[in-house]
Amino acid sequence: MIKRSLILIAAMCVGISAQASERISAVGSTTVLPVMSQAAEAYHQTHPDLMITVSGGGSGVGIASIIQGTAQLGMASRNTSSQEQSKLDGKVDNIVIASDAVAVVVSKAVYESGIHQLSLKQIADIYHGKIKNWKELGGLDKRILVIDKEASRGTRHVFAKAVLGSSHARAEGASIISGSNNEEQMIVSRSENAIGMLSNAWLNDKVRGVDVVVDGKAIAPTIEHVRDGSYPIARGLHVLLPHRATAATKDFVQFLLSQEGQAIVKHVGYLPVR
Amino acid sequence: MLILLWFLWDASSAYWYEFGISQLWAAEWYPYESLYGLLPAIIGTVWAMLIAMLIAVPCGLAAAIVSSEILPVSWQGWIRLGMEMLAGIPSVVYGLIGLWVLLPWLQYTLDLLTGHNLLAAGMILSLMILPTMMVMSQDALRLIPIEQREAAMNMGMNWNQRLMRVLLPQAWTGIRSGILLGLGRALGETMAVMLVVGSLDRVPDPIYNILEPAQTLTSRIGREMGEAAFGSMHFSALMACGLVLAVTAICLSLLAQQKRSFV
Repeated sequence: MIKRSLILIAAMCVGISAQASERISAVGSTTVLPVMSQAAEAYHQTHPDLMITVSGGGSGVGIASIIQGTAQLGMASRNTSSQEQSKLDGKVDNIVIASDAVAVVVSKAVYESGIHQLSLKQIADIYHGKIKNWKELGGLDKRILVIDKEASRGTRHVFAKAVLGSSHARAEGASIISGSNNEEQMIVSRSENAIGMLSNAWLNDKVRGVDVVVDGKAIAPTIEHVRDGSYPIARGLHVLLPHRATAATKDFVQFLLSQEGQAIVKHVGYLPVR
Repeated sequence: MLILLWFLWDASSAYWYEFGISQLWAAEWYPYESLYGLLPAIIGTVWAMLIAMLIAVPCGLAAAIVSSEILPVSWQGWIRLGMEMLAGIPSVVYGLIGLWVLLPWLQYTLDLLTGHNLLAAGMILSLMILPTMMVMSQDALRLIPIEQREAAMNMGMNWNQRLMRVLLPQAWTGIRSGILLGLGRALGETMAVMLVVGSLDRVPDPIYNILEPAQTLTSRIGREMGEAAFGSMHFSALMACGLVLAVTAICLSLLAQQKRSFV
């Protein structure tokens, strides 16, 4: 009896693994993640035999897991560093599926107190700890909660490069370090004095993007300004596809670039590449 | 145990050879500039443990005394069940409670820039080690023979005197084990701490400022392990954090053992 049920269980396991014939795991940037997970859902309806699991961790984690071969697809919201690239050369295709703006976000209360635009210099001064109070920028007399991101995060690289000069620049003024976009969004929306960096698709009523002043002109972090190239903190959203990937994985990446996939990109709030 | 230590040593040896032991009190941690000072995280860890113990030891002890000496026996089973259930809740749940309840509360009542700080981490930790503290103390109190209590009562001691002169000294060994076990858990706890501590790699300024975001050894490993390429110096430095934690934990449990066998 026991023997028979054991055999049955074993058979079931084999059956289950045979049924879901292929699994893809996509790991990395939480900025690319919403596109990937919605695309995976849509793709699963026409390809029920393919299981795609999507998880975050940040661009650095995505690139590291492709280098170490622990994931089939990597997601990154920044360019690879030269050190990373040397390990990927000739083995991995780096495909841009969308672009977006890294918005400089502030809490709703800050925005409503009159801070609608900041220059790159002012933002840099805040992150270097030279400006510590919103009063100095014409806002209320409140200390600034400066949110920095984990050093490996793509958004951090792009922001630091555009604002602080290099992608690993120190931010001495930082008061707290956040990880994923969700975490940062939560900290900003909970605070009344926060400034942070978030992809433009993550803005909402409590998390407002300010205009960035370039050459005397205030430019809002919108898709239009990414398209015409005027917004200074823009970037491509990448998918890393190893050459040794299976046909099904490659097909899925093609789906991301197809009309349907690009419609998802637009729906999430990024700029399609096609 | 030895294998584990050897593994940690092996993985972190590149770091120790390159930078030496002095990194334990170097204050700057910038992996991209090859600066790997452990001091901010060590201070963070020590503070979080201290705060947790300051809250959990008196509370746990008081709860144990109340439940085993004052309340009727029929309640004890229920209280114990509750405590054991508390001890079994996954740490991430405590972290989320901290995130949604404790942080906003701290932020508004103390008028802070952010609720993410060492005090929050210590408070969450104290909640997590409270059950351990209480169950161990309760056991120790219950092991005291009834004759001792009767003798104390016959000597005309009042309740206070019985507690301070007879019960607590007798139970002290068990209570001490509870404290050390609790310390061990506070030391190693990652998830809940990571969610509330703020993860800022900076030595608190001034050093007793527990109301600013900080970093602990565990939260640093949790945050940065995914990105550190296997075999890199960064990876090695994180392993060194692990080694410091493991050695401290071993010392704590050795201490607990020693006290138990000698007293």
